[in-house]
Amino acid sequence: MRRKPSFRSDSGTLAVLLRTELRMLLRDRRTLLLAVIAPLVIFPAYILILRFVESRERKALEEAVYGYAVTGSQADWAAELVEAALARPVLSADSSFFRPRFHRLEPADPFAALGRGDLRLVVEGLSAQEWDSLRAFREEAPAPSPESAPVAPVDPRRSERGVPALRLHFRGDSDFSTEAYRQLRGALEELRLARRDSLFRAAGFPLPLQEVVPVEAVSVASRAKEAGVFLGTALTPLLVLLMLSGGSIVAVDALSGEKERGTLETLLTTGARRSEIVRAKLLAVVAVGLAVAVFNVVNLVLYLVAGLIELPASLAVELRPVDTLLLLLLFLPLALLVAAALLLVSGASKSYREFQVYWFPLFVAFLLPSLVGALPGADLRSLLALVPVAGVALAVREILVGELDLPFVALAFLSTTASALYLTRLTEASLSNEKLISGADLEASDLTGGPALFPRRVLGWFAAFWVVFFLANLWLGGPLGLRGQILLNLLGIFGVGSWFLVRRYRLDPREALGLRRPPPAAWPAVLLGAPSALLLAVSGAELVNRYVLPVPEEVLQGFQRELLSSDLPPAETLLFLVGFPALFEELAFRGVLLHGLRQRIRNPWILAATVGMIFGLFHVSLFRILPTAWLGFLLTWVVLLSGSVYPAILWHALNNALAVFPHQFGWLPSDASPSAGWAVPAAVGLALSFRLLRIGGRPSPSRVLPKASPGA
Amino acid sequence: MGVPPAVIVRDLRKSFFDESRGEVKAVDGLSFTCYPGEIFGLLGANGAGKTTTLRVLSTVLKPTGGSASVMGFDVVEDPEAVRRNLGFYSASTALYPRLTARETLEFFARINGYPEAGVEGRVRALVQRFGIGEYAHVRVEKLSTGMRQKVSIARTIAHDPPVLIFDEPTVGLDVLNALEMLKIIRELRGEGKAILYSSHIMSEVEKLCDRIGILHRGRLLALGTLAELQEATGLHYLEDIFVHYVVQAEGAAGARMGMLGELETGT
Repeated sequence: MRRKPSFRSDSGTLAVLLRTELRMLLRDRRTLLLAVIAPLVIFPAYILILRFVESRERKALEEAVYGYAVTGSQADWAAELVEAALARPVLSADSSFFRPRFHRLEPADPFAALGRGDLRLVVEGLSAQEWDSLRAFREEAPAPSPESAPVAPVDPRRSERGVPALRLHFRGDSDFSTEAYRQLRGALEELRLARRDSLFRAAGFPLPLQEVVPVEAVSVASRAKEAGVFLGTALTPLLVLLMLSGGSIVAVDALSGEKERGTLETLLTTGARRSEIVRAKLLAVVAVGLAVAVFNVVNLVLYLVAGLIELPASLAVELRPVDTLLLLLLFLPLALLVAAALLLVSGASKSYREFQVYWFPLFVAFLLPSLVGALPGADLRSLLALVPVAGVALAVREILVGELDLPFVALAFLSTTASALYLTRLTEASLSNEKLISGADLEASDLTGGPALFPRRVLGWFAAFWVVFFLANLWLGGPLGLRGQILLNLLGIFGVGSWFLVRRYRLDPREALGLRRPPPAAWPAVLLGAPSALLLAVSGAELVNRYVLPVPEEVLQGFQRELLSSDLPPAETLLFLVGFPALFEELAFRGVLLHGLRQRIRNPWILAATVGMIFGLFHVSLFRILPTAWLGFLLTWVVLLSGSVYPAILWHALNNALAVFPHQFGWLPSDASPSAGWAVPAAVGLALSFRLLRIGGRPSPSRVLPKASPGA
Repeated sequence: MGVPPAVIVRDLRKSFFDESRGEVKAVDGLSFTCYPGEIFGLLGANGAGKTTTLRVLSTVLKPTGGSASVMGFDVVEDPEAVRRNLGFYSASTALYPRLTARETLEFFARINGYPEAGVEGRVRALVQRFGIGEYAHVRVEKLSTGMRQKVSIARTIAHDPPVLIFDEPTVGLDVLNALEMLKIIRELRGEGKAILYSSHIMSEVEKLCDRIGILHRGRLLALGTLAELQEATGLHYLEDIFVHYVVQAEGAAGARMGMLGELETGT
């Protein structure tokens, strides 16, 4: 009876879907208009029009004759000075000299005429006393109300020695008035320098003022490197912009458009898998996004070659073939991430209109991290390498500058790739979501709330905790000091947060926090496991550093600084660095978080890795994420095998004590670390510990009982 | 029937959850079977659970409880195999406007796993059968409603599935197009297809279906051939039979208060 149809291979179905998707796109006038016609015609036309308008305006400004008036108690002196200044050529923005064109007018009320636009500038000549009064008034009463402004005292000696001054009144809202001010000010400064020079030389000064302590700036970086800084900063945001604008044309049609037309249900009732549908659409978005980016870049090059656009001197970059290859490799996950995000938003939108509402926030979310290269001091050797898009932006900049640091480039590549894959998975899941078809937007647990809802919400809550944790440490970290910071994190966020979740979702505290008596074998297992795990981590890192992937010295120093930079007395060290973290972090991560996630993630290895990674991400410094993720992974297994959080608390406390005390109290020199030779006995100790836990453990019936486990 | 059923539905349940109404049981313990060469009609008012049942069978929705299988494949365990054995036609499913009629048929044949070597021949046969040869190279967006309907049915059977679902297929069609649709469905039954047909139009169900399931508020009130239902109720017309069961389930007051207002008697 079962009729197994002749199943086409996945790649075959994918190819059919992709081919049809692209065929439909190419027949869509909007796609062609926005992806091809716009780059070919609109952007260059825009640039040409802009250049035309700019040159015409520049010409108009340079050729204009600026009307000005002279006023004030020292008007005659001021007029003479202005005339002398305007008689000299002025240096223009393009380093050539030109003679400014000004015409003196004599209106009855110069300031009213300036307000009306009858003239561009008013030069006011002030006596020394007036000038001093004005300056003293500004210094002593910065913001008085006009009615109550006291007349500032005048220093009679300064008045006697002082000189008259000029005030240039112009209108900042008028291009012509501003240009008149700029030209006259330049001319007056030139005149001042020349007159000062004459005075000095008349008094016997041996050389022109310009020749006194001449300073010359020399950049030791090559022109190519300087160009790399500029292009490296601009390239990623430009590509992100192009891929977002190009990809969105396809993405909006791919899911929200299909929903609106009613073709999505047709597609979902075919034999194609959800994953195949999403991947085909994803590839279509990537293809069009990249095509639009390439179109624009090629177009730009063509216009440069044709001389319609001038190439800035700062773009003279030198690229080796390997660098070009790396850049292409880095842009692929970026294109994939952009496409996946667009598709996810398209899937979440019920219509074109709704997609448009979400597009701008998405645009900002991509553009901001892509601009990270412009931040002073932003470095790839930091947590930024793990931030999708930002890591790629920094890696691109460093490749273009010629500073290649492969491990961190790989980290940036992996973080963006992982995010792209995660978003793709989310989009696939969203296609299985009944909300797409049925319009019912709730699940049973949404109505009942309580424990049934908790597994669906736990990740969202921990994401919120992370944001609070990050911001609190950013803003309050300094003022609170180490003790305050630890109290805030452990008691305030993990402690109160765990309590809040237990209350809000009506969880059984004993079940949610794992507060059960552990089997007796758990204690010796912990006493053996904690030092073994720490030893294995340190000696393993040494092995990796020596034979697999050399870790830069600054990374090692950073790690040591993070771990050992505490000057707390012993009792407080025990409390703040050992006791509190072990207690509150275990209740939060191996208690509440594990309780929620174990109902969603059935595979214990993935479960332990997920809890470990989330735990690692809460130790914000890049140098601590991996070691703490490793610790979190092991501690999750301890709880899964023993069915209790207590052994994990002891393990955590022992780990912290062993990591901190020997160095802090001088039992070991600060640069001492176990040699790589310790890795094997440490691994054996850890395996024995887990064997003991597995044999003597007593997992809770509700906890995941792994088929295979460490040490099994 | 000597052959095993092509569709088996056992105690099927499907709930939706709504902020204002709480749990809504769209399908509540439904059981029926459909055999090859049979048209099984699901008759019910709007909101009775017909479309939800058919969407569960087409794997677009997941059941809350019970089970359903198509050609031996479970809708939850093996949804892709279910869909490859199924052709789903609904008034709400649409065609890709920028594909031609021929491209549409090729696409749906291939995507549903029809052997590549036979796709061209299959499409040629469908084009001939439905009389769309003249328009085969015209984009769907430029076709008339009647022609689109033909392309739509052709794409439903493009991969020659053994089970077909027609969910309110005559909604929005004029009389002639509706009659043409019913004629095609009868022909497909003649080819041995197991057909699930849902409608709230009594006359269509009465003329077309071999067996009828009367669905109300997600529950199956009665199931049998028209003759069996007539015998069980002592009533002649399907409309009367339907009202009889609904009134029995709801009480006369409920029926009088407009519960039947959404039903059409048709012609």
